[in-house]
Amino acid sequence: MIRFDNVTKSYKNLRPALDDISLEIQKGEFVFLVGSSGSGKTTFLKLLLREEVPDAGTVWVAGRDIGELSQWRVPYLRRNLGCIFQDFRLLPNKTVTENVAFALEVIGRPRAVVRTQVGQVLDLVGLGEKGDRMPHELSGGEQQRVAVARAFVNRPLVLLADEPTGNLDPATTQGIMKLLDRINRTGTTVVMATHDVGIVDTMRRRVVQLDQGRLVRDQARGVYGFGDDMTVSSRGVPAVPISGASDGRPYDLAGQPASGRVEAVRARRGVR
Amino acid sequence: MAVSFEYVAKETVTNLWRNRMMTLAAVLTVAVSLSLVGTALLLRQAVNRQIGQWSNNVSLQIFLDADAPQPQVASVRSMIDQTPQITRCAYLDHAQSYAQAKQVLAGSPTAIAALTPATTPTVFKCQLKSPGDAATVAATFNSGVPGVYRATSPSQSIRVMQQVTNALQLILLVIAIVLLVSSLVLILNAIRMAIFARRREVGVMKLVGATNWFIRVPFMLEGLVQGVLGALAAVVIVLLSNVGVSYLIRHYKVLGSAVLPAHDLVVTELVVMLIGVVVGVAGSSVAVRRFLDV
Repeated sequence: MIRFDNVTKSYKNLRPALDDISLEIQKGEFVFLVGSSGSGKTTFLKLLLREEVPDAGTVWVAGRDIGELSQWRVPYLRRNLGCIFQDFRLLPNKTVTENVAFALEVIGRPRAVVRTQVGQVLDLVGLGEKGDRMPHELSGGEQQRVAVARAFVNRPLVLLADEPTGNLDPATTQGIMKLLDRINRTGTTVVMATHDVGIVDTMRRRVVQLDQGRLVRDQARGVYGFGDDMTVSSRGVPAVPISGASDGRPYDLAGQPASGRVEAVRARRGVR
Repeated sequence: MAVSFEYVAKETVTNLWRNRMMTLAAVLTVAVSLSLVGTALLLRQAVNRQIGQWSNNVSLQIFLDADAPQPQVASVRSMIDQTPQITRCAYLDHAQSYAQAKQVLAGSPTAIAALTPATTPTVFKCQLKSPGDAATVAATFNSGVPGVYRATSPSQSIRVMQQVTNALQLILLVIAIVLLVSSLVLILNAIRMAIFARRREVGVMKLVGATNWFIRVPFMLEGLVQGVLGALAAVVIVLLSNVGVSYLIRHYKVLGSAVLPAHDLVVTELVVMLIGVVVGVAGSSVAVRRFLDV
């Protein structure tokens, strides 16, 4: 469904935001994208939406090299990619129903289709009764449900989520994760960038970890890790947690405890 | 992809209302500048109708007798050829001369009715090396040359009038162009503010895959509406000013008795509308291209 082939992306005068990333995500997978701020998670998602174009390498979505898409086709790519964000991005002057319907109206769906699909998706996210409310009358969790409904109402192939639970308390977060899980079970691929250790550890799904733009871990049923420091290793050698390590500390691929090097690397980078 | 008419209309009206102060400024500027353009055009047409026969540097007209036989015409022609002050002449036969007469006399239908092509004198329209010689050359031809009905040169007052109206037109057009540019900028700015006011919607639209044109069209239509509203106001103003000018002409007999025919007025109003549309579309297109990165 999604493939990155040696993708590199830099912004002006900085180290690469993404550095030679290659990975493949199958249809129907649920993938967590983890890493500290500035590790390149958001750039990863932007490349998928073609808000950004890679400096080198190829991004494939649904079998298409999206770098080859002409500008006027980009909207059609985005119709296959639902998107949710930390800040919900609802339109404050529209009701819940109107917010969700907007996503279908602006891609020219007939009114009858809009009405039925909006009703269905609001039931799916558990807001069937609150269609006439305004966004500010809803709790954060409910607002995010509206955003999920808007992203999913067009039945996209992929749902991209950029820290969707960043503004929510743990209980609400769980509700949203259940919802994303349910959407994933319909066959929709879900890619979710997150900081939330708890979610990643309980869901036990594939975890892709980025650090300073590099892919440092890709684990089938992973956990968040041991904190940011774990990912630090010399010369970019990925540090992988060794299951069953007695001290619970990270080791790099050579099997050496990574902790001793953390100080050295920190010193080299200067204080963060 | 169908951009639903209802959606676009609703968006455009909402936008215009939300942005009504900027809209008002843009519409008024378009109205004022287009009124000046329209007035300048009307003035030009009125003057040209009156002194049209003297345009293109023609400074001498030799009218022949309507029934002058061919040999007389030929001898006049050879006399013209032998006059060193004359550089070039064009001969209007009965039909062409009748057409010119109809134009000149557009304001007095009774005079036209009295003419037929056969009774209209044919004419040589001549250019002189120096317009100052016009009176002397005209006198030569008026001294009983067989076949010549009358040779005329434009009077001093026509020359003065030509110069004054030319200057007036130029000033009006310069002011109008400056105002047109500023109305273009005002429309551009109004659309820019509309885009800013709706950046959330635009962001969501991009996200869910609305096509570029779907996002752009309401904004461009908004500019078009501003241009057209301004032009409509200008059309009314030009109509009124035409009534005023006609009254002045009759009252002071500045341009004889001529009043502009309805045809000229309609053409002017159409030109005004067209410029309004162009300014509106151009202003909003630039704004959409520069400030709406889709």
